[in-house]
Amino acid sequence: MFRITGDPSERLFLDEVVKRSRQNLLECLQCGKCTGSCPVASAAVGGPRLVIAQVLSGMKQAALSNPMWWYCVSCGSCVTRCPVEINAYEVATALCEIAEEENVPASEPEIHLLDELFLKSVKKYGRLKELRLVASYNLLAKQPFKDMGKALRLMAKGAISPFEMLRGWKKDPRTTRIFARVDQIKRESAE
Amino acid sequence: MKVAYYPGCSLEVTARAYDLSTHQVCQDLDVELEAVPEWICCGASPALKMSRLLSVSLSAQNLALVTKQGIQDVVAPCPFCFRRLRSAQSDIENDSTLRAQVERVIETHVEANLHIYSLLEYVHAHVGLEAIRSRVAKPLKGLKAVPYYGCYLVRPPKTVQFDDPEHPTSLDTVLESLGATVVDWDFKAECCGAALSLNKTDTVTRLSGQLIREAERLAADVIVVACPLCQANLDLRQPDVSALDGQEHHMPILYFTQAMGISFGHSPRSLGLHGHMIDPLPLLKEKGIVQ
Repeated sequence: MFRITGDPSERLFLDEVVKRSRQNLLECLQCGKCTGSCPVASAAVGGPRLVIAQVLSGMKQAALSNPMWWYCVSCGSCVTRCPVEINAYEVATALCEIAEEENVPASEPEIHLLDELFLKSVKKYGRLKELRLVASYNLLAKQPFKDMGKALRLMAKGAISPFEMLRGWKKDPRTTRIFARVDQIKRESAE
Repeated sequence: MKVAYYPGCSLEVTARAYDLSTHQVCQDLDVELEAVPEWICCGASPALKMSRLLSVSLSAQNLALVTKQGIQDVVAPCPFCFRRLRSAQSDIENDSTLRAQVERVIETHVEANLHIYSLLEYVHAHVGLEAIRSRVAKPLKGLKAVPYYGCYLVRPPKTVQFDDPEHPTSLDTVLESLGATVVDWDFKAECCGAALSLNKTDTVTRLSGQLIREAERLAADVIVVACPLCQANLDLRQPDVSALDGQEHHMPILYFTQAMGISFGHSPRSLGLHGHMIDPLPLLKEKGIVQ
């Protein structure tokens, strides 16, 4: 299964993914149980087996722009069934971090956008403001009326309140500091 | 029994019914929920995807808050929050470099010695089926329920250390204690599409649709869940599944705490049952379970 040609840069990438994910990809048997179990694998998106094969084969650019790991919902089916217990959602985090550090454009911009907006809310307010996230995502994704009917029905039932959008603007300096310090540590380790 | 309660962001807004019903039934079962003061978001899937240090730090901050609160047991109704807390605690315990970084980020020492439970586990293992049975005022007789666990409660097994990752049974036994007819099915721990509901709606409609169709095939009356994300996807995407199939689906999706609350004799409104997209009340009335 080890398809590296010998160029040291290939091994660098593999080692980096193994180190960050703490998953020993060299044990991967390429059996495909992960992809067979993965709820978001498809012909268009591929599956975790292919991502791991790309990492093992030194195909750095292909791995970093593979849409699969953006789709990963961390359901844990892969690690539960994998004969060598490789957790693909940990691999997804490693690839996402490396892609971000190397400015690789997100291959799934919609998923990236939602993640960014979500974290922006947490950074600023300490907690996620769910309804504001839905509204701002649909606005930025240029589909402002998507699910509007559903939202109105839930409001009519009293399940959610439009005032929710207006509440909770109090900022939380603790999370703002947490995000800043994480960035600082990342900058230091990049140097 | 007093426990620290970490509700998580969803329970403040879209899953308020889960929060309401949790408080009702915990009071009945003598479980005192003391909210973690000033808790913060666990970062959920976006933080988990984008930065390990951030994800672990956010949960570590919450662990430190619980320690400060002076309670050893912490209960999280949301399976994702639960898994993040457990995962962060074990990562910190087992990795001293990570611990040092995390403590620098949150500017506090982390004890990492808490007992972290999902609400389902706490109710099942610590309150116990006997205590649940003794509270039942209106058995859910004739209600055919499929128990749906989803992913995060039961996987990965080494992280959550709860029930079986492929064929869990804890929720089955809770529902049986309430007098419901539990229908066994193969989709107990399949994925509903989780956090892709807004940005990859087709994926969620496909995955949630499979669950709804299978529950219908088995002639179930309701799907019972323990996760705000599962509830939202199965309930709110059900009209999309109907549109896709060209056939109306009407499968109510209840939180297990709502099922408990009904059988303990609480009013539907006090359990937030009026707020679901697929209205469960006509069915519950037809079965004579609620008036």
